[in-house]
Amino acid sequence: MSIPGYSYKFDHKHLLSIEDLSRLDIEHILDLSEEFAEATRAGRRPEPHLKDMTVINLFFENSTRTMSSFEIAARRLGADVVAMPIAQSSVKKGETLIDTAMTLNAMSPDAIVIRHSASGGVKLLSRKVDCAVINAGDGTHQHPTQGLLDTLTIRRTKGRIEGLKVTICGDIMHSRVARSTTLALHLLGAEVTLCGPATLLPSGTEHWGAARTTHDFDDAIEGADVVMMLRLQMERMNGAYLPSQREYFRNFGLTKERLARAASDATVMHPGPMNRGIEIESAIADGERSVITQQVEMGVAVREAVLKLLAGRRV
Amino acid sequence: MSRTLITNARLLCPASGLDEMGGLLVEDGKISAIGDVSGAADTLIDASGLCLSPGLVDLRVKTGEPGGEQRETLETASRAAVSGGVTSMVVMPDTEPVIDDVALVQFITNRGRETSKTRIYPAGALTMGLQGKAMSEISLMQGSGAVFFTNGDWPVEDTSVLRRTMAYAASCDVMVSSRADTYALSAKGVMNSGARAARMGLSGLPREAEWIGLSRDLLLAEATGCRLLVDQVSTARSLDIIREARDRGVEVYVSVAAHHLFFNETDVGDYLTYCKVNPPFRNEDDRQALIDALAAGEIDAIVSAHDPQPPEEKRLPFGEAAFGAAGLETVLSALLVLVQDERLSLLDALRPVTSSPAKLIGVPQGRLAAGLPADLILFDPDKPWHCERENLLSRSLNSPFDGRRMVGRVMHTIIGGETVFQR
Repeated sequence: MSIPGYSYKFDHKHLLSIEDLSRLDIEHILDLSEEFAEATRAGRRPEPHLKDMTVINLFFENSTRTMSSFEIAARRLGADVVAMPIAQSSVKKGETLIDTAMTLNAMSPDAIVIRHSASGGVKLLSRKVDCAVINAGDGTHQHPTQGLLDTLTIRRTKGRIEGLKVTICGDIMHSRVARSTTLALHLLGAEVTLCGPATLLPSGTEHWGAARTTHDFDDAIEGADVVMMLRLQMERMNGAYLPSQREYFRNFGLTKERLARAASDATVMHPGPMNRGIEIESAIADGERSVITQQVEMGVAVREAVLKLLAGRRV
Repeated sequence: MSRTLITNARLLCPASGLDEMGGLLVEDGKISAIGDVSGAADTLIDASGLCLSPGLVDLRVKTGEPGGEQRETLETASRAAVSGGVTSMVVMPDTEPVIDDVALVQFITNRGRETSKTRIYPAGALTMGLQGKAMSEISLMQGSGAVFFTNGDWPVEDTSVLRRTMAYAASCDVMVSSRADTYALSAKGVMNSGARAARMGLSGLPREAEWIGLSRDLLLAEATGCRLLVDQVSTARSLDIIREARDRGVEVYVSVAAHHLFFNETDVGDYLTYCKVNPPFRNEDDRQALIDALAAGEIDAIVSAHDPQPPEEKRLPFGEAAFGAAGLETVLSALLVLVQDERLSLLDALRPVTSSPAKLIGVPQGRLAAGLPADLILFDPDKPWHCERENLLSRSLNSPFDGRRMVGRVMHTIIGGETVFQR
């Protein structure tokens, strides 16, 4: 996209949060991602933009899909990938976190992809390294590549973002996906409704770009163009946020009947992994409205784009 | 007999309301004359352009002594203190071991006398080991010099234990200090609850935790007749709750940490762990309400809430970092900034750090009057300076004021007639 008289330059060293990006930045990443997605669909190998570069995957939290997605993206671009899954239990918290970053930095990688269980943890590490840092999820704060891949999936399936009604339902409070995707969609002009039980819906979501919040899913889904269900993160539930799974499914589960209230061409999304029968009916997850596997596909494309833009950068 | 003569000072004594140009004579560690003084002296200090006031009495200081000397000792804290104008410090009992018996109270007093430049007063643990289960030997510790009793950073959770302990404390005529909190609501919190915490993905410390804890403490103080010092109020509504209790005749005193007059939650910025304190920095409305209450004379003590933490406790993700801020060197400036902004008069700014806290713990200093200990500071109320961590004297440099422009600087600190600091 170009405007006469203006030149655009993607001018970031790291990707830590959607909050750091402008609308132009996001559109630039999406356009580039689109090219990668098309190349893959056409069976073409992309240019080896990351040839002779080293990408480190540093995951302090267990993750199969996101780590694989980053690894595949980096390899497609010709990078050497070193995976360092570090179970939270084996790393003694404390200075070790920063020590780890400084140790890896001394090995001169071209990019480090980090997931950490603490909000702000990736930012902290980014201050200690010279290379590009990509946030692959920090606590309950941000997961920017997820926000971008959700946005890309919607743009591809709907042809636009501007003016779309998007409903995101589930455990908003503990969701870094909700924080990232809501803001990315908002910046591109979508109208986002956040829905969840009162105990899982924090205040102040207008600051992340939500147009409205509600505890009534039937109301939230009315006329929606996109319905995104979030995983009910059982491992984060340390107490009585909810009375039972079945009561949750009754009020916040996505069923055929509920989906009928959405727009007739509404698509269904889920960042995965899904709890079938808890937040979403299997028939819907596997049905024709579902674009869940496309999200996974776009995930690789977005990560290729982000790596191409950032790896090897020293701003 | 040693004589020190200070001349040409702006004399400030919040207790008497004195605010005029003049001099002060110190003889043998005590103030002997105020006003128009002259004559021969061993030491002559020309205080032109400076204010002369009583040294600061700080009711809430943590050091690491005993048990955490890598953070701070009484000696290193006192070096920081005198450069900030603090001449008397009450040290908290949450150390290792906890200051919960007579020998430990004496240990602190003796160590203070031997190593500290400032006067040191121990606060005793309200319950054994600060466990909140069994009351400590309050009366005996009081006899050994504990100036009040507190459960420190971890207020007593069990209401029945607190009630009995307060009733007992009341019978000994000692003051109990309690930070208002409700763990069930705040245990996992790391910053002020609300939109900002939600957006940053951090768990909140809800204001209701302070209000419920405060209401409980006040009701028990009323029921038992215990003198209560509410430790570090942080919200506007807490002030309302306290006003209501005062109207009912409850004997309640209030402290506010100096950093709560200066910062609000937005200062946490990008997960700045030096701004992680408990109670947390709240909203701007709360900060303004605290300043208004201070100007209205409702705050009995401004404290530094000095809590030294080494880098390894702060260079962590926000959620995992320790609470606490170094504050001894910035407490006076935090107040003088408000004077500069014309929110407070100089005397109103000084009262809650001199005469008022001194009175609360029953010590004679904190005033300018003949016969009292000569604990004095000379400061320039308008001098601008830039707070930089590296220049602080505390052993731990975890100051949220790092990088801030400040106004007002201590130039000279005298304790018991002796110069202990000069800038």
